[in-house]
Amino acid sequence: MEGKIIVITSGKGGVGKTTATAALGAAIALEGKRVAVVDMDIGLRNLDVVMGLENRIVFNVVDLAKGRCKVRQASIKDRRIENLFLIPASQSDNKTALSTDDMVRLCKKLRQEFDVVLIDCPAGIEQGFENSVIGADEAVVVCTPEVSAVRDADRIIGLLYARSITPKLIVNRIVPRLVASGDMLSHKDVVDVLSIELIGLVCMDDFVITSTNTGTPIVLDRDSRAGQAFRRIAARLLGNTEIPIVDPLEDLKGFWNRISSKIGLRKT
Amino acid sequence: MLNNFFSKMFKEKEAPPGEVAKKRLQFALVYDKLEVSDEMLQNLQNDIVDVLSKYFEIDKASLRLDITRQEDLSALVLNTPIIAAKKRGQAPK
Repeated sequence: MEGKIIVITSGKGGVGKTTATAALGAAIALEGKRVAVVDMDIGLRNLDVVMGLENRIVFNVVDLAKGRCKVRQASIKDRRIENLFLIPASQSDNKTALSTDDMVRLCKKLRQEFDVVLIDCPAGIEQGFENSVIGADEAVVVCTPEVSAVRDADRIIGLLYARSITPKLIVNRIVPRLVASGDMLSHKDVVDVLSIELIGLVCMDDFVITSTNTGTPIVLDRDSRAGQAFRRIAARLLGNTEIPIVDPLEDLKGFWNRISSKIGLRKT
Repeated sequence: MLNNFFSKMFKEKEAPPGEVAKKRLQFALVYDKLEVSDEMLQNLQNDIVDVLSKYFEIDKASLRLDITRQEDLSALVLNTPIIAAKKRGQAPK
């Protein structure tokens, strides 16, 4: 059976693509699939540090795509999670080191070795994006509730449609308190503007910072809201569509909300 | 905190920032999609000249093609002096 390739993209940088890729890769591997996460940010690799595998790199994705090593040699096994492998970016090349033809060949190879391949797409719409998308079957667009991120996501969505890929949306770094006070775009606003299918909502979570600092998978932390949100997204990506998407504002609808909506501070 | 409370009580109702963001985004995205590259505009102009030349003698040099934008609509405006209409039968099939 051939594996499927999912590209994680966003257009804008710094919205949480790499964190999402690491978390989803770990979560999908925990579901029992053999997973590879591929860092396509050539020249600016980061997925390795986020996953805590930075000192195990021997070969990278450029070596693999150019046939200088085997898939097994370029795949770094995760320290904690069985069946999770990282194929790191090259740090010395630049984004034009690979062509779309190289990528098509690479994706074909990876499909034979893994059940799921997640591609961490670099920011931007240049060669790195083209390379990340060319072999993908599906796409996940990560977007934060900010005007700049939403606008760039819209552009990326257009480019994905042009390649006959229908992307799904993750709204990341939601701050429920600010959404409730009307200061932040709600996930509904983002979905409205982008009009694509939503696959998950992730709240701003301090655990993302600590788990990135230590290079440990956030999905293993039961107390992390973001980690648990990524686990649900992973399950949905694997076709488990019954898991409901919980509105992060639900938790807030406690005492204070009822009071403040009564006295007119908050629109209900 | 208290200050905030009073200002919210007495200030005129402004649209909350989240709502402003959504409106601005919707406009920005519409405008982004209307953006046409110079190359495309030039190709369009060449094609239009070809079509018009079948029926009219036009001054090709002074033809102008522009996209104008008003509040919520954009229009393609073509200005060309017509020197003469071609006689019927002269137009190619």
